[in-house]
Amino acid sequence: MNILACPRLRSAACTALAAFLSCAAPSRAQSAPTVSSGAPAFREVTDEVGRNVRVPQPVRRIVSLAPSLTETIYALGLQDRLVGDTDYCDYPPDAEKKAKVGGAINPSLERIVALHPDLVLVTKSLNRTETVRALAELGISSYATDPHTVDEIITSSEKLAGVLGVPEAGAAIASDMQHRLADLQQRIAPLPPKRVLFVVWTQPLISVGKDTFIADALRQAGAVSIVDSEQSWPQVSLEEVARLQPEFLVFAASHAETTPPTVEVLATFPGWRILDAVSNRRYAVISEAVNRPAPRIVTAIEDLARQLHPDAFVEKPENGRQKLEKENPAGNQQLSSHDYLSPRDPQLDGKTSGGGACAR
Amino acid sequence: MRPLTLHRLLLQCLLLLVILFFVVILALKFGAVPVSLYALGRDLLRVLFGQSSGISSDYGLIIVNIRLPRILLGIIVGASLSVAGTSFQALLRNPLADPYVLGVSSGAALGAILALIAEPHLTISPVFAALLTPLGAFLGAAATITAVYFLGRRQGQIDSSTLLLGGVITASFLSAIIMFLMNTLTGNLRGLAYWLMGDLSTSPQKSVYWFLGIGFLAATGAIYTTAGDLNLLLAGEKEAMHLGVDVPRVRLVVYIAASLLTGLAVSVSGAIGYVGLIVPHAMRLLFGSDHRTLLPTAALGGAIAVVFADTLARTVVAPAELAVGAVTAIAGAPLFIYLLRRRMA
Amino acid sequence: MSGGSSHARHLAEAGRLANEIRLSVEQVSYAYSANPAQAPLFTLEATSFQARPGEIVAILGPNASGKSTLLKLIAGALHPLSGRILLNGFVTHTLAPRIRAQRIAVVQQESRLLFPARAWEFVLQGRHAHGRSLRFESERDVMIAKNALAQVGAASLSDRWMDQISGGEKQRVILARALAQQPLLLLLDEPTLHLDIAAQVDLLDALRRLAAQNRYTVVVVTHELNLAAEYADQVVLMHRGRCLRLGPPASVYRRELLEQVFQTPLSVEFGASGRPRVTVLAGT
Repeated sequence: MNILACPRLRSAACTALAAFLSCAAPSRAQSAPTVSSGAPAFREVTDEVGRNVRVPQPVRRIVSLAPSLTETIYALGLQDRLVGDTDYCDYPPDAEKKAKVGGAINPSLERIVALHPDLVLVTKSLNRTETVRALAELGISSYATDPHTVDEIITSSEKLAGVLGVPEAGAAIASDMQHRLADLQQRIAPLPPKRVLFVVWTQPLISVGKDTFIADALRQAGAVSIVDSEQSWPQVSLEEVARLQPEFLVFAASHAETTPPTVEVLATFPGWRILDAVSNRRYAVISEAVNRPAPRIVTAIEDLARQLHPDAFVEKPENGRQKLEKENPAGNQQLSSHDYLSPRDPQLDGKTSGGGACAR
Repeated sequence: MRPLTLHRLLLQCLLLLVILFFVVILALKFGAVPVSLYALGRDLLRVLFGQSSGISSDYGLIIVNIRLPRILLGIIVGASLSVAGTSFQALLRNPLADPYVLGVSSGAALGAILALIAEPHLTISPVFAALLTPLGAFLGAAATITAVYFLGRRQGQIDSSTLLLGGVITASFLSAIIMFLMNTLTGNLRGLAYWLMGDLSTSPQKSVYWFLGIGFLAATGAIYTTAGDLNLLLAGEKEAMHLGVDVPRVRLVVYIAASLLTGLAVSVSGAIGYVGLIVPHAMRLLFGSDHRTLLPTAALGGAIAVVFADTLARTVVAPAELAVGAVTAIAGAPLFIYLLRRRMA
Repeated sequence: MSGGSSHARHLAEAGRLANEIRLSVEQVSYAYSANPAQAPLFTLEATSFQARPGEIVAILGPNASGKSTLLKLIAGALHPLSGRILLNGFVTHTLAPRIRAQRIAVVQQESRLLFPARAWEFVLQGRHAHGRSLRFESERDVMIAKNALAQVGAASLSDRWMDQISGGEKQRVILARALAQQPLLLLLDEPTLHLDIAAQVDLLDALRRLAAQNRYTVVVVTHELNLAAEYADQVVLMHRGRCLRLGPPASVYRRELLEQVFQTPLSVEFGASGRPRVTVLAGT
């Protein structure tokens, strides 16, 4: 007695179901819900990883899958069009109130689809190719950025503004950032750059690679990272760091108060103690904005420059205030100039002329 | 004395099919976006009757284009891994064997990494680019299967202990290479971490589904023809031969078919752990060790387990998603301990 | 009824009825070397004997005398270096494992089961060689299995788990599985090794009864001198890979011969039944 084997029966049923679905499933492009009223028009652009992207015109609903992109959208004044962002998009505070779609690496496709975005913004350093591909299969366009230097951050923001239909805002931001950086260069260019170690993590000791925008930001601030690696987040050996003896350690922290105790603890470790920068408590703390390729990074650069080259910034207080007001971007009514410059950066307020170690 | 009959086998399969059906309904209903059962039923009926153009609601799109393919993938992968696990446990005469013990998943992972490294340097169409990772993984798996086969031979035939040793060593070696690569490479390997844990969120293209389905049917069918032989093989190889089993042939067929199943599953979903190890034991506890029942019930049980685990992965921390391999690991270890104690008692 | 072996069955019937030679071992030799380049570690020199239906043959000898090798050659597990083994005219080691299992049943000493099984499941395994490869057991199979258990007096053990019965009981179930194969030839390798005396006698009584009843040819490998003497119709005396003597126990059990083979002082007496009895002489 032979068997009509059960697995065959069941698998036949599964195959039949699959066949059914493949015939019955609507073709992907057509099923993309078109929520924008009016005739759907498209514009073809090339994004920063070389893909051809069909951008619906106008772009009314945006989903951002990276905190830096969320910040950029706010800086461009487009926050009303932002319908969803990631769990980690926390700046400006208003971004927390937007609908969340999950993490940057593992967002929920369902949530994104449910928000009916016209365009999804991604960045190569944070998001996965699989996510972009899956969105494409569902008929949703994604635009990818991939800045590796501070200049590229500026052009990237400008280009993004163009794609989203607000080129003037983009130009305004770009010129603002460029002016500030030029100003900065003027002040610190004559000074020799300080050799620094940018500390991402202490145990294991992780720094940044030379091709990252963070390394470039350090250069703009009159510093040079002693780590010369091709990797983005290289793990460096303490011995090597001790050999190179950086002049400063640079930390990026959301709360500047937690850094001094951390350095105190570091000073007690045998390996770390041999670093001059640790034993002399020569460290700089800047806002975590340096970790995000967004307009706010310029503020962090300026802050770092002040901490590393205090002599270059001896100036009257009024000049400082004017500078603050100039940074307020056009159309951004909700945020005060103070907010935009990152409220988590108390050192900016109390910092005046005078230098020496930041031993707080 | 109640020997196995076709009747009993079909009843057992039917029971599991019913459970699978309910789990699928659950999986369709639950997710990051709430879906009402009514809307679900309505849209599914529309699909069945070919009125797919009627599905314009968001739910319809999510259900048909996101959840259903993912569920289908979960079913195939779960069934493949369980059948492979059952087969390896019989082939190696070892209750601790799982589909990955012979290094297939490590080979697939290495193939996927190499594909990821090579991708920026190749000028290929986007369609092929999407297939590159699964293809690389499958080729890596195939290469490992071949290598371990030659390592596991003695006097021209597969020998169980030699095979196990060869496979374990290969797996370790490949894992070491993978760790080295992950440590030194500069590229974007973030997605790989997910893949290594086992992840169903990246559903492949339609053509891949056909390939998976046919591969699963062929391999499972081949293994099932040796179901009776496998029962005897568990009594010992000499005994099995004296009872009429062509041991070298059975070993070869089972090895290739089970490895193929593993390779297929791992290529598209990464190495989802514990399913191939625990589902066979659970089904043995429920339905007995006769492979004529065990193979089909393990397949169905694996499908149920993976779809269920994937639903949990999608919903417990929504909207973020866990990797399904994480869920199977968390649930799998305590379950295994429980099964172990049942056997000891 | 399986189609492929009906011709063989016919022959088997014919052979049985006419009391022809069933098993013919013709000048069979074997050599085993761990390394093909080296000299063989062990050789079995050309050995011959014949057996009829209903006969019990004992392959007798001390350890490393080649008895198990000879049995494996008869079972078809090894290929002879020279010579051949015929079962009702068919060369055994060229048969497919399936066909061979329909005619030759091997009873092992122990049975290690990876996963627990009941006795009846175990015995049913013997039916695997008959019928198609992938099938469910038919009513006939079930009947044959029940019958086999009854024949060895283990019908009551039918529903018990294999790992929960005693050694003697297990041995009977293993024998029942061999009987379920409905073989022509029954091979046993040191079946009495782990059994106590009562169980040993039980087993050999059963073998004698079954051989007579079902016309099996039984070949038993053993080193138990007295059991072989009592139950065997023919004895093949092996010593260091050579067959020294072949014949009924009375003619093989010569004191000098046995002392040479077993390296120990013995005395041989003849009982009332005409069968020899060996006593080991302890001391100097």
